[in-house]
Amino acid sequence: MSWTRRELLALGGAALGGAALPTAARAQTPKRGGTASVRIYDPPHFDHMLIISFKTNIALSFTHSRLVKHKTGPGVAPGTFPLEGDLAESWTQPNDTTYVFKLRRGVKWHHKPPVNGRELTAEDVKYTLERFVTVKGNSNAYMLRPMERVEAVDRYTVKVTLKEPFAWFLDMLASPMAIAVVAKECVDKFGDLKKAEAVIGTGPWMLDSYKPNQSLTFVRNPNYFLPGLPHIDRVEGSVDEDTSSRLASFTTGKYDIGVETVAGNINKVDWVQIKDALKQKRPGLKVVEFPGNVMSHVSMRTDQKPFSDVRVRQAMSLAVDRQGLIDAVLEGAGVFNAAVPAALKEWALPVAQLGEGARYFKHDPAEARRLLAAAGYANGFTASICFTTYGSTVLIDSAQLILKSFKDVGISATLEQKEYGAYIATCFNGNFPSMTYGPQTPFLEPDNFLFAQYYPEEPKNQSHIHDPVVADMLVRQRRTFDVAKRRDIIHEIQRYLAKQQYYVQVPSAIYTSVWDGALKNYAPNLGYDIGGRLTAAWLDR
Amino acid sequence: MLKRYLVKRLFVALPSLLIASLIVFTLPRLIPGDVVQLMLEEKAYAKDLDEMRAKLGLDRPIYVQYFDWLGHIVRGDLGESLWTRRPVTEELQRRLPVTMELGFVAICIAICIALPVGIISATRQDTLRDYTARSAAILGLSVPGFWVATLVIVLPAIWWGWRPVTGYTEFSADRIGHLVQFVLPGVILGIASAAALMRLTRGMLLEVLRQDYVRTAWAKGLRERVVVLKHSLRNAVIPVITVLGIQIAQIVSGAVIIETIFGLPGMGRFLFEAINQRDYPVIQGVNLVVVSGIVFVNLVIDALYATIDPRIRY
Repeated sequence: MSWTRRELLALGGAALGGAALPTAARAQTPKRGGTASVRIYDPPHFDHMLIISFKTNIALSFTHSRLVKHKTGPGVAPGTFPLEGDLAESWTQPNDTTYVFKLRRGVKWHHKPPVNGRELTAEDVKYTLERFVTVKGNSNAYMLRPMERVEAVDRYTVKVTLKEPFAWFLDMLASPMAIAVVAKECVDKFGDLKKAEAVIGTGPWMLDSYKPNQSLTFVRNPNYFLPGLPHIDRVEGSVDEDTSSRLASFTTGKYDIGVETVAGNINKVDWVQIKDALKQKRPGLKVVEFPGNVMSHVSMRTDQKPFSDVRVRQAMSLAVDRQGLIDAVLEGAGVFNAAVPAALKEWALPVAQLGEGARYFKHDPAEARRLLAAAGYANGFTASICFTTYGSTVLIDSAQLILKSFKDVGISATLEQKEYGAYIATCFNGNFPSMTYGPQTPFLEPDNFLFAQYYPEEPKNQSHIHDPVVADMLVRQRRTFDVAKRRDIIHEIQRYLAKQQYYVQVPSAIYTSVWDGALKNYAPNLGYDIGGRLTAAWLDR
Repeated sequence: MLKRYLVKRLFVALPSLLIASLIVFTLPRLIPGDVVQLMLEEKAYAKDLDEMRAKLGLDRPIYVQYFDWLGHIVRGDLGESLWTRRPVTEELQRRLPVTMELGFVAICIAICIALPVGIISATRQDTLRDYTARSAAILGLSVPGFWVATLVIVLPAIWWGWRPVTGYTEFSADRIGHLVQFVLPGVILGIASAAALMRLTRGMLLEVLRQDYVRTAWAKGLRERVVVLKHSLRNAVIPVITVLGIQIAQIVSGAVIIETIFGLPGMGRFLFEAINQRDYPVIQGVNLVVVSGIVFVNLVIDALYATIDPRIRY
């Protein structure tokens, strides 16, 4: 008895298909109440503007609102992120650099001091956006760098003026990785928002208790601005740092949602081990598969020899056996990535459509050796790869396979393993002598993958790229508001980058997202908005 | 005399603690990658890094930072976490008891296993019981605790659907549950120590049992229990107690993994995360407390020598 891939996909299709049915056809009225149990992460602290941490952002996804947000629910296909108003009831864009947001009326802060349930106003939004770009230590501030000023036109109207057109502005505001709206009084009272007492938002749940290293408990916000929501009264989040412990807990029904990554999935390597036990013990479990947006790549010093020669970079890409890597490391379930991860299906180009550059994604050691010889490296060369494990056996195994692939074409690379902190401080920011291998932050829109990694002098431009062609296209896509046209430019960028191979992209895993059958109107997606995805969900038990 | 000795030892411990403070202060700063780079991660523009270092006071000369920290230590203030701004003392008050309880249970279990089994093994040398005990000890030393812990958690869940006993129950919430939660991790943590102590107990006891005064005791017709427990064990156990002191340090380090697996919010996990985050005040505070604890335990052990062996006088 085992679930085949076909069965899983069918289940996933059924789960998604259910959303397309009219409400009456589903014949299920949402029930109020109950406690959902999830695996959660212990935030280093709660001030999302003073840290880049998915742990903090996930916690705030339960308690805070944003100006705009990504739609959630079974009607949204994983890997897509349609926008809708959150605190903003509507918005207009009178010109390329101006946005006017009309706020919902009657939105109340959580009934906790110092705000004590007062109404949210345009001043709060203005304060949040200004703090986001001015507070010292916000390394996400670049997301709103094009913002020039924010005005509270009246109590319910916010006007944002940009210095230059920035087509991703709304996507940045909607990102659950950054801009939750906060109250000035909280910052004034607590000095910053690091303490649990300062977790006061306008979101669907309120933080009821926080036990460091143990749990976060959220209770329903009775004054949430969307009538009737959330349906679930209480969310118990358990900090469960050990893989075997949380898998055993999930198998025995402790958690309602899968326990790995923010997509609520089970790692494929573990899934293979426990799926039979799960089928017996949790027969109602819902399963959906979709590509993950955690993408690893080999970056290299393209400002130095030998990597400054495009033929060397192309040879390296040809050397990597991507399908072999999927088979060996990802249990056969993975997707090839170009410059934009395949998971972002609205923006990513499949390898077959990369044009001339598509051929560099094939595994062709003979052609790789030929290109190396043409570049003057007939005997290959020696190099090093800076690396940290991130505690992931998948990453360690894939690094070994990449080393072997390079060696097969004459590139003798040594793995220089660093401790995580040392890696982040050096190699992750482009400070390495030869090459680096590791995952990138899993953003939800392509700009963060492209502009940040390819634009000159950006801190995440690990490969030290100074290419005026790509820089021009990167700026152009940012200034193109017509989505179809912007998509064309982003496709053009991917085709161009496929030929250049500034980074050797490695396949991503396909996630197996699972959730309890009793959890209705829930659908997984990428991104940290777990609270958002549970807001309209309900428990049928 | 003992009192004078202890005062002298305490006085001698002060330079040790001072040197330890210098080491725990300096070493974390020598690891590549500082706390500011980790805070700002991938979007670390040079200007932002400098500003943040200034904000946290990390731009001052290192000796100034050290003496500043030392001044606070003398006043009982271990500083506050650079990440969370929570006082280190407050965190330790919450987490230290968890690790101490776990360590206490582990040590108790280690002693309860090691001494009886070591005695039986020594007094029944080269019998089936001795071979069994020695084999078990080697197994206990060889099998990693995290592996046993993983099996203990995963297999019952898959075979019988038993939900793993993980997470932390506070004493005020459920007294029995609070105590019970330490049994399984305590046993796992104690097994390796028990194995080491058992082998040492056996070896030392065998040596003592061959001493002339023990032969005399046998010749006097004393019962085995008296010969072994009264005349032999007290002499044999002194090195065991010394090793017990060392085992305590090992148990604290082993607690890092066991606490993570069993979801116990102790000091081990706290220290591990602090090192990853280069949270200097936390690393310094926790290590200083651990060092002080080990100095104290060794002091207690020294005092115990005199109690166990009347020949030892200070």
